[in-house]
Order: sequence, then C-alpha cells, then structure tokens
Amino acid sequence: MGVAPWVKVFSWRFWRKTAPLLFLICGLGFVRWSKGVFFSDAYAFITRPFWPGNAQRDWIQDGNQIELRTRIGLLEQDNQRLREMLLLDKSSGLNVTSAPVISRSPNGWWQQLELGKGRQNGIKIGNPVIGPGGLVGIVESTTPITSRVRLLTSPGSKIGVWVSRTKQHGLLLGIGTNRPQLHFLDKDTKALTGDVVSTSPASILLPPNLPVGVIQSLDTEVLLAPKASVQLTASPEAIDWVQVQIN
Amino acid sequence: MGSGANKLIIKLNQRFFLGLTALAVPLLTFLAPKWLSISGIGPSWAVLWLLPWALVMGPVSASIAGLCLGLVVDGIAIGQITQVPVLIGLGFWWGRLGRRGPRIERSLNLGLLALIGAFVVGLSVWIQNFFLSLKNFAPFLIAWGFHTLLCQAVITGLLAPIICSLLLIFFRKRYSSF
Repeated sequence: MGVAPWVKVFSWRFWRKTAPLLFLICGLGFVRWSKGVFFSDAYAFITRPFWPGNAQRDWIQDGNQIELRTRIGLLEQDNQRLREMLLLDKSSGLNVTSAPVISRSPNGWWQQLELGKGRQNGIKIGNPVIGPGGLVGIVESTTPITSRVRLLTSPGSKIGVWVSRTKQHGLLLGIGTNRPQLHFLDKDTKALTGDVVSTSPASILLPPNLPVGVIQSLDTEVLLAPKASVQLTASPEAIDWVQVQIN
Repeated sequence: MGSGANKLIIKLNQRFFLGLTALAVPLLTFLAPKWLSISGIGPSWAVLWLLPWALVMGPVSASIAGLCLGLVVDGIAIGQITQVPVLIGLGFWWGRLGRRGPRIERSLNLGLLALIGAFVVGLSVWIQNFFLSLKNFAPFLIAWGFHTLLCQAVITGLLAPIICSLLLIFFRKRYSSF
C-alpha cells in the first residue's frame, strides 16, 4: 500500500529539500515588507566610492542662494500675516542635512530618489527633501544608511500648496508626467499662468513658503474647481545633492 | 544516500549559484544607466533575467524565481504596487515554452518574448496605478502610461537579444542536466 502524498509533508526529507527555499522566500518577503532594507544598504555600501563629490555641493549652494532670495521675498509678504498668527512661528527654523543622491529614476513607473543618508542621520518618513530650486519630494521609507524619496511628479504624491499672489490654497498631485497637477480648492480662482506655487505658509508638515513651481497652464472649464499644470522649479534629473529637513 | 540524491543536491546547488546572477536585477535597477534608456525610461531588468532562466529551468523553477524576483523589485520601489503575480505568470509561461516547444534561442524570438513580457508587466503596473491613485486623471494617465509602457517595452525588446542570449548560453552551459 502506498503512502498518501500529504504524509510526505511530515517527513524529514521533504523539509530538508524545501526548507532552504522557504527560508529564501521568507527572507525576500521581509525585504518586500521592509521596502528593500538589505538591498538599499548593500547598494549604498558598494557604490560609496562613486558618490558625488563636493564640487556639486558648491554648485547646489549657489542654486540655494537664488532659491533663498525668492524665499525672502515670499517671507516678507507673509511677515505681517505671521505677526497675527503666532502659532506659525514654530515652523520657521530649518534643520537640514545634506544627502547625496545615490540612485535616481525620475521617469518611468516609479519616480523616486535613493539618498545616501538614513535613520542614523535622523531622517524619518515624511521629511521634505529640498533641491536647488525648491521642494523635490517627500521621504517615503528609510533604512539605517539610506532613504527613499517619492518625487512630486510620482503618481500618488499629494502635498498642500499655496499660490502666494492670490493667497489661495490647492492640492498638488503627482500624475506621472513632468508637470504635476494643481487642484484649487476654490471655484473662483484668480491665479494666472506664471504665478509662483509654494508650500503653504500655514503648513506644519512641510517647510513654509518653499518654492515648488510655476503655473504653466490653467484649465478653468472644470465643473467643480479649476486645475492647473505646474512646472517644477527643482529638476531631479540634474541633482546630485539634496537637503533633507529633519524635524 | 544514493547517486540519485547526490545528483539532486548538485542540481539544486547549481541552481542556487546560477540564481545569484539575479542580484544584478536590483543592482541595475538602482544604477538605472541613462544610456540604456528611451526618454529616461529604462528596461525591465526583471524580465531580462527571468526570460532566459525560465527557458532553461522550466515552469516550476521559473515561477519560484518570479516570486523571489517580484518580492525584491517590489521592495526597492516606492508605494504598494506589486509585480509578483505578473512575474510568476510570465515565469510559468516562458518555462512551459522552453520545455514543450522547440528550443528558443533566436534573437528575434527572445526580443519578441521580452517585449511582450515588459508590456504585460507595464500593463499590470499601469492598471494598479489607475485603481490606487489615478482614477480621476484618466486623460493624463492614458498619455503618460502609454508613453512609459511603450518606451519600456521597446528598450527591453531591444536589449533582450544581447542580454538574454548571453544569459541563455551561460545558464545552458552551467546547468548540466539540460
């Protein structure tokens, strides 16, 4: 009489054969769950000698000066309003750390950056990432020595923004293309093509008044609320160093 | 232990060491060489590795490889979109093709299979994107998705005759039981 196939499951030989495979799949399941904790770190370790040098950092600092001038203009406009809203004072100080971009995919299905700094440097999920020109994206996941950034253009990216000239709020949504879409919250928008879009001065999740982009085109014929296409001021294709705001 | 068991262990060891070449998939995904891209969109490295593996190793091994590879590529990408089911399916299909039909080794055949594979992978990602985050952006989604899908499928199909052929030869030479 033969042995039923399910009885083999209890045999030592069966487990000896399948255990390594099960361990491998469990291990890779952990990689999936932890969002590539081992692979990101190994990649960072291997490519460390090839990380961008300091020349790029100087170039970024020049870019930052231009960005700061824009920000000062915006901050001055808000100064009066902030005096009346003392609660917002908390978010004005920026505590940032520079991080090298060790991998990038600004196009394609997943639009993300891999940074060469992680939890050990105080970076946490949700921290804003700033490049020369303005906001680039938000930290999506971290490992001890790397962090992964979801770019503003990536599908699923959502941030609250503000058109400073008209003082109107909106939601900037990544739709995969180079130009994310701005959804205004009011039906009656006075925004025009060329208006600067920045993070909200009332934002506590993101640094206030950080330039994000410029309105490229407006669609006012939408029934509920107008939409606009926004050209981002920071270009992730060309950035080798970014700054991460640590809360 | 008989010679049959010894042969099985040797075969498993060979598969394990050949499987280590799959580590190139996450490495190349991270590196994302610009000169191997169309409009900044690179090939599907998972498809380029899985196709020769499946043709040599058969459907069961290729399905398991698809599962493992899917878990890895999901782990190194943002968001909750998964490639696991589609890679398992492709592995199984290519494995059956490799075992049942005539031997597939011509550049054109490999290119076509890789192109179809990359297209199916892209389509599954596109559909998941649609339901997860982009329901309200149908016109933009169609334009962007079609562009990405086409670019990735074409560059994968173009690279397959070179990369898949080399991997196919390597796997066939090293895997003695074939």
